[in-house]
Amino acid sequence: MRLPRHSLKSAAVLLIAVLAAGCGRHDAARPAGELAWTIGYDPKTFDPAKVDDEESELVRYLTAGVLLRFNRSTQQVEPHLAETWSLSPDGKTVVFKLRAGLEFSDGSKLTSKDAAWSIRRVLLKDTAAPVADEFLSASGVTVETPDERTVIVHLPQRVIGIGKVFDEIAIEPADRPSEGRVTSGPFVLADYHRSQFVRLERNSHYAGRDSNGAVLPYAIAIRLDILDNHEQEIRLFERGDYDMIDSLPPDYFDLLKQKDPGAVRDLGPSLNTEQMWFNQAATAPLPAWEKRWFQSQAFRVAISRAIVRADLARVAYEGHATPAYSFISPANHVWYNRSLTVPQEDGPAARAALAKAGFRLNGSQLKDAGGHAVKFSILTNQGNAARFKMATLIQQDLKALGIQVTVVALDFPALIERLMHTQDYEACLLGLENVDPDPNAMMNVWLSSSPNHQWNPSEKTPTTPWEAEIDRAMNVQASSLNDADRKQAVDRVQQIVADQQPFIYLVYPNALYAVSPRLQGVQPAVLSPGLVWNIESLRLEGTR
Amino acid sequence: MRAGVQSYRIVASWLLGGFVVIALALLVLPGRSYASQDREHLLAGMSAQHPAGTDALGRDRMVRVSAAFLLSLAGAVLAAAATTVAAAGVGTLAAFSPATLGRFAMLLCDVFLALPWLFLLMMVRSALPLTTSPAHSAAVTFLVLAALGWPACARAVYRGALELRSAEWMLQARATGLRRAQMMRHILPNLMPLLMPQFLICIPAFIIAEANLGALGLGIGEPLPSWGGMLLELDNSPMLMRTGWVYLPIGLLILILLLLEAVAAEVR
Repeated sequence: MRLPRHSLKSAAVLLIAVLAAGCGRHDAARPAGELAWTIGYDPKTFDPAKVDDEESELVRYLTAGVLLRFNRSTQQVEPHLAETWSLSPDGKTVVFKLRAGLEFSDGSKLTSKDAAWSIRRVLLKDTAAPVADEFLSASGVTVETPDERTVIVHLPQRVIGIGKVFDEIAIEPADRPSEGRVTSGPFVLADYHRSQFVRLERNSHYAGRDSNGAVLPYAIAIRLDILDNHEQEIRLFERGDYDMIDSLPPDYFDLLKQKDPGAVRDLGPSLNTEQMWFNQAATAPLPAWEKRWFQSQAFRVAISRAIVRADLARVAYEGHATPAYSFISPANHVWYNRSLTVPQEDGPAARAALAKAGFRLNGSQLKDAGGHAVKFSILTNQGNAARFKMATLIQQDLKALGIQVTVVALDFPALIERLMHTQDYEACLLGLENVDPDPNAMMNVWLSSSPNHQWNPSEKTPTTPWEAEIDRAMNVQASSLNDADRKQAVDRVQQIVADQQPFIYLVYPNALYAVSPRLQGVQPAVLSPGLVWNIESLRLEGTR
Repeated sequence: MRAGVQSYRIVASWLLGGFVVIALALLVLPGRSYASQDREHLLAGMSAQHPAGTDALGRDRMVRVSAAFLLSLAGAVLAAAATTVAAAGVGTLAAFSPATLGRFAMLLCDVFLALPWLFLLMMVRSALPLTTSPAHSAAVTFLVLAALGWPACARAVYRGALELRSAEWMLQARATGLRRAQMMRHILPNLMPLLMPQFLICIPAFIIAEANLGALGLGIGEPLPSWGGMLLELDNSPMLMRTGWVYLPIGLLILILLLLEAVAAEVR
């Protein structure tokens, strides 16, 4: 079969266009002073109020001016567009005083009316802003603007860590939402090509100055290439096309370290956790006997005791992870429970516990009291080598108990469909990224009524007494005015979770980064965005 | 020249046989399992304990390659046999049926050939229950390959059977009143020169198809080794930097495919 001539011509044009697009992503000449790195996928939205994915959040962080900024290094809230702020003793009134002479990137004046409009917008139900949930009862919040520089926010009830909430509210021009094109932050959205790149340019009206009075940010632009391929990303980083790599995979860390020890940073355990859990939902389409296993504390604890976490950290993460037993990482000094009693790894104890719970070994196969062979699948997401390795190691660990495990890697949409909608799965291995050290940010995971209460989502009433106790303790930490009471409540939740093992915590992955030696001003932090939290102070020395 | 090709085929057959014997011996040796993890020796080099080193989970690479070789060869041979039998049945029946029915059967074959087989394979694999054991997933993979592989072969058999149908000895047999069942006894041996190459050609094709599926993450499940699963290691530059043994599966796969092609060449 021959193609008609015009088809060949079209094919040639298409090929040139594809090549040009390919060149556009990585090889086009870049202006001096432009920073470049990659993001894994297209941001879902540029509307700062509607951000609910990691890459959109990064773009918001780089472009948005906010009243208060949560310093990722010191973990303290600092004034940003606000010159000062105060919280009333009852925690229900927040007063902001704006800095003088603020302007948006289009040169228009920024006043308290813009700030009030932006806050009210995220509180509106129609906006569906995820940050609205953090006000606990968004509909009762009112905002006043007594003068051009003062904003007063009245809360119907005290909100723990209210300062950090304002780090997520971008101040936009009143009645002119622009999806990042007009901002009060250090950068503005200049260009976006789907599946290729996002380009941000310096906001020339930004008020930031360094200690010498020089204009901030130092970088004139940022280019975020959309690339979901670590091999290519690392090759281009080594070639100097990219200035940093956020969340470096552990196997690539050592490769880069061999070539240039100064280019990589291991900050130790991050706040993130990797965990597995069993589906305990009563409505899950699973056989009744499997539900009984998964709802059995003895079964979950035995599984937890059979998993050799040190091997997971050493083999799957090449040593760049720490064995985990709690949802709070030891990197979170304030909230980590140092007196936690955890079920330590102990194969014989795990076998004894299973025998006590009615499980029997039949040859090399474990069977329950009803004679059903104990076998289940562990789901994880495709494309994460460390998770797949962990699942394969767990498969081997559980084989020693006579349990047959199947490891299944699904693409993310298929995985989420099973977890959130059909509930058609037995066990799952995934990670949780914690962007806030305060456990109050994890209310949506621990409250039994939450759809993100993964092992049994959206319970009408707590199914078990221990889930009811977690609910109570989490509510205490969310409402108490006393820090000691809050700490005690969170410690109790950590102990219940360790005893019951609804989530079997596996490792805390280390925060791994790669930074070009030409990039100045970098102060890596474990909190996201770990490399660019001080984006205003980053500067590229020399030309690319 | 013909004698040269013949001897090449004999050498290839002996080499393949030798590989099978070595692989079987490696698997039955005590203390060796394709799944056991030596977590103290990750990505190890050559040693007495692990002659071709270990993979990233400390599993013996030689044992895993042997298991993948035997598994894919056995699966491909069985799938090729099933395909050839199905194709012989469909092709012969179509050729000896009324012409309209025969053409309709070939139209069905064309429809089958036009199907996007890779997506069909992916659909079938993803529709399997999550708890499908690795052995079952391997069986299903080859079963699906067999189910999708027969139409091309059936078309060739149909053409060959049509020629037989109009051959002089066949006309003579029909004229003497030979019944259809009796004729079949003579037809099948006459189709063997056509069926044997089809069978042999299918084997490397199915091995490659299984390797492709494995590389897409849709092949045989862990911890059972497969060519595709092991080839995935090549997509990781740190692994390539750390051990040369990572190239063993691809090298051996190419060699096996060349030997299978050599065996099929003479028959073809």
